[in-house]
Amino acid sequence: SQVVNRPTQSSSLIDYSQPKQYRIGGIAISGSKFLEPIALTSLTGLKEGDMITVPGEDISRAIQNLWDQGILGDVDVSARTEGDVIFLTFNLTESPRLSNFRFSGINKSQADALREKVPLQKGRLVTDAILSSTRNAVREYYIEKSFLNAKVNITQRPDSVLPNSVVLNINVDKGDKVKVGEIEIVGNEAFTDKKLKRQLKNTKEKKFYKIFTSSKYNRTKFEEDKEALITFYNTQGYRDATIVSDSVYKISEDRLGIILTVDEGQQYYYRNITWTGNYLYDDEYLARVLGIEKGDVYDQEELAKRLTYNPAGVDVSALYQNDGYLFSNIEPVEVRVEGDSIDIEMRVFEGTQATINQILISGNDKTSDHVILREIRTLPGQKYSRDDLIRTRNELAALGYFDPETIGLNPIPNPADGTVDIAYSVVERPNDQISLSGGWGGPIGAVGTVGLTLNNFSTRKMLNLSEWKPIPTGDGQRLNLNIQANGKYYQSYSFSFTEPWLGGRKANSLTVSLFKTIYRRGQLQQQSQDGAESLLNVNGGAISLGRRLNWPDNYFYMNHSLSYSRYRLENYALFSGFSNGISNSISVVNTLGRSSIDNPTFPRRGSSFTLSVNLTPPYSLLSDRGDDFEYIEFNKFMFDASYFINVAGNLVINTRAHFGFLGTYSKDSEIGPFERFKLGGAGLGGGNVFVGTEYIGLRGYDDESVINTNNGTLLNAGGIAYNKFVVEARQLISPNPAATIYGLAFLEAGNNFGNYKDYNPFKLYRSVGVGARIFMSAFGLLGFDYGWRLDTLPGSTGRNADRGMFHFIIGQQIR
Amino acid sequence: CSNFQKLLKSTDVSKKYQAALEYYEQEEYYRSSQLFDQVTDLMAGTEEGEKAQFYRAKAHFMQGNYILSEAYFRTFHTTYPRSPLAEEALFMQAQSLYEQSPSYQEDQTPTLTAIEAYEEFLVRYPTSERIAEANRVIEELYQKLDRKAFNQARLYYQLRYWRSAAVALNNFQKEHASSPYSEEAAFLKLDAQYRFALESVPAKQEERFDQAVDYFQSFVDMYPESQYRREAERVFDAVQSALATLRKSSANNQNS
Repeated sequence: SQVVNRPTQSSSLIDYSQPKQYRIGGIAISGSKFLEPIALTSLTGLKEGDMITVPGEDISRAIQNLWDQGILGDVDVSARTEGDVIFLTFNLTESPRLSNFRFSGINKSQADALREKVPLQKGRLVTDAILSSTRNAVREYYIEKSFLNAKVNITQRPDSVLPNSVVLNINVDKGDKVKVGEIEIVGNEAFTDKKLKRQLKNTKEKKFYKIFTSSKYNRTKFEEDKEALITFYNTQGYRDATIVSDSVYKISEDRLGIILTVDEGQQYYYRNITWTGNYLYDDEYLARVLGIEKGDVYDQEELAKRLTYNPAGVDVSALYQNDGYLFSNIEPVEVRVEGDSIDIEMRVFEGTQATINQILISGNDKTSDHVILREIRTLPGQKYSRDDLIRTRNELAALGYFDPETIGLNPIPNPADGTVDIAYSVVERPNDQISLSGGWGGPIGAVGTVGLTLNNFSTRKMLNLSEWKPIPTGDGQRLNLNIQANGKYYQSYSFSFTEPWLGGRKANSLTVSLFKTIYRRGQLQQQSQDGAESLLNVNGGAISLGRRLNWPDNYFYMNHSLSYSRYRLENYALFSGFSNGISNSISVVNTLGRSSIDNPTFPRRGSSFTLSVNLTPPYSLLSDRGDDFEYIEFNKFMFDASYFINVAGNLVINTRAHFGFLGTYSKDSEIGPFERFKLGGAGLGGGNVFVGTEYIGLRGYDDESVINTNNGTLLNAGGIAYNKFVVEARQLISPNPAATIYGLAFLEAGNNFGNYKDYNPFKLYRSVGVGARIFMSAFGLLGFDYGWRLDTLPGSTGRNADRGMFHFIIGQQIR
Repeated sequence: CSNFQKLLKSTDVSKKYQAALEYYEQEEYYRSSQLFDQVTDLMAGTEEGEKAQFYRAKAHFMQGNYILSEAYFRTFHTTYPRSPLAEEALFMQAQSLYEQSPSYQEDQTPTLTAIEAYEEFLVRYPTSERIAEANRVIEELYQKLDRKAFNQARLYYQLRYWRSAAVALNNFQKEHASSPYSEEAAFLKLDAQYRFALESVPAKQEERFDQAVDYFQSFVDMYPESQYRREAERVFDAVQSALATLRKSSANNQNS
């Protein structure tokens, strides 16, 4: 019944060689049992009185229309003519239609996943073709999961409620999971089996000790692995290597074996490399940039990388591509092969310089054009440069509004007038964070938090109600609200707002922030002498201006901020001899930084450093004042540097160094309890967040525990100088923008000093460890680390059992 | 449980269909669409199947589910091209797309799709009484595209990237010649070109000022009554005097 998809125009009166116009005199439907003739007639798209051509398209289209509904088993047409009037009869065969289907033999989540994959549609006809493609879809799903022996059995039964309908039961017998038992490689002499097996990235032997390695067998992955094996040979100069044969055989129900036979061929070397067609650069210069010497092992992949695009260094095409020569092209041609030596001729086509004409943006269904356009470094009227393109990608990624892995850069050349349009495409991702949490906050007890961070806010659209979906977005402004409270004892409110392009002409950002914190302690906690309640109240605000610099290069930026905090203490022992009164802190922070990091979520290359100087007015130099804390005086210097290098694939090494120093202006005055450093643990900060304390992590040690002193007051208040060094290897596990996951291993060392007399940058507390991070746009970065300390802190017992510990990490940490 | 919940669980197709129609009449579109979603596919080929499909689409449209209503109206129109409701369905399909067209500062792919849909409607039903409305909406959507393009080009002017502003505004003029923003674009282009020439190296200044003269002349030709006329003339005077100085100094250089 599958083939009768075309009209059978059974009338001897119709001359097929001469199409003729007829008027429809009537349409009849025969053979319908459950379906209604009038409805079917209207589905044909024809009606009485229409003029049609026979033979012609009208009738075939009518049949196609009926057929497209997927509700009929068979359709054909017969016709009778009287003069120029035609009477049509559609002869139908009804077949049962699907009213429902269900899965058995598998769990609900797999059934739900399969429901999306099978081609079954309720109300549609159940044909053999549909049944067999359903069977295949289910089998493929399980083969993907390495159930190679999965059996699918589909049974039909009539639906008792709906006439002419069937219910399908799809029974799945998954069978055993089949794994790769052994891999044998034959014909290899230059490399060991072990080395070659390592190239098969997704096809691994099952071994009891390989608990983290998947040994699933996946046909498509295996094909990719075979190509990878040949690529590996090619990179080693074995240009002719091939896989002669591969066979997969069954060892047992749940194990299979693989035999790969390779023909290695011989190893080749470069001999002479010559250049033709180059006018802008001479042969010698090009050869030096290429960096391949006579006698080197012949490696096509490396050659292509050094010619066309080398993310880790210079390549020959960059000479041209960064100077407008968009149309340039270099083709390496093997001009002679003698024995094991290959002569290459580089055929260079330089072309003309291209000027950028238009910038096209697509995919921004939330973010406004100007927010994207103002970050784009390729400007109309400028010469084309590949570096600018890549820089733009990094800048767009740094905004955080788009999935960094899918930012598209597409130069569209118009060779006719020597211009190029550049099309950027982005995929928006959610970047607002809402936190609602309750937790146990140490000495304070239960704490509730309500937080809202809007990273792409628009105050301009606030007045337009239709833009509230659910909040006005798209202008790149940042709004942050946070409330933390535990009834009477602890309350904290903070608010900040940032406009990244104040005035819309230059990337000068303005941030305004306000905060208020109240911290009370009751009688039970023995903080006050006379049993009265103790209280610490901090109110403050800050205003800061940021700008990008073009000198020394355009990765630099500068930030100036003015902040004010007012501390009010009642019976609150903050520091020796200071428990009542009011402190005012007015300070100016200047930060100079440079950042060339390529991706904010998982940086692969680039570096960043910041130097920040935080100064209060030098009261002690201006007037003779005692050691009261009415106007807090300090100067603070912080330095942070971070460097990323992509070692291989998704493996990145990050090295960091951090320093901080706190001081006063006059030799005599004491450094107060404010703005000190606390080192150790995850660095999240717990207790006194409100006296400007800097919390810095040092994994493998308890929170805030690392300080090189025995003085009790200092142990409590924190140190005045710290340094910390980190080497971290990161491996990207899942680049999925909804949940970016990476694993890491670290080695770090740091120390924190209570006074400058003891300061010694080489005396460090070290630790090692491993961990993982997950970035979800709605929650930010979350993770855990297991740290193992290598040194013992003074005063601690140093038992081996206490050396390892877990740290939970919330949020991106700078230090 | 409520009557509606009972209906949802019932297997009686015609009862559900009747209820869905009633809910539609009572403007309870959410309930109506839920019931239509359950029965419409099962009713294909029955007499009410046609009506069910149409009202399902409408019920979704009324709720603002424009992605769904667009798909359902389109299916309706391809399935029942000769139905008396077909014209309305095609128009409603276009309108579903129109509703999805975003603000001018966002990606305009949906706007272009909507324009295509209205244009298809104009071709198919050239005698429809909805023609005027369709033409009005097409005009509105084109103006949105004009506004977007103008904003993008003007941004370079605001950022003071003068060369880019001149290039981008020139492109805007070429591609959106009849837009209401063309006049402003012509003036801004002139001003951007003048400032670009002013900041150029001496060797290139003359050529670039000359270009500004051209831009001025075509501006006056096209918009003799322009509100920017006076400012444009001021720019032109500045260009003229800059050119005069340049020519004088180059003449001096040649003489000496």
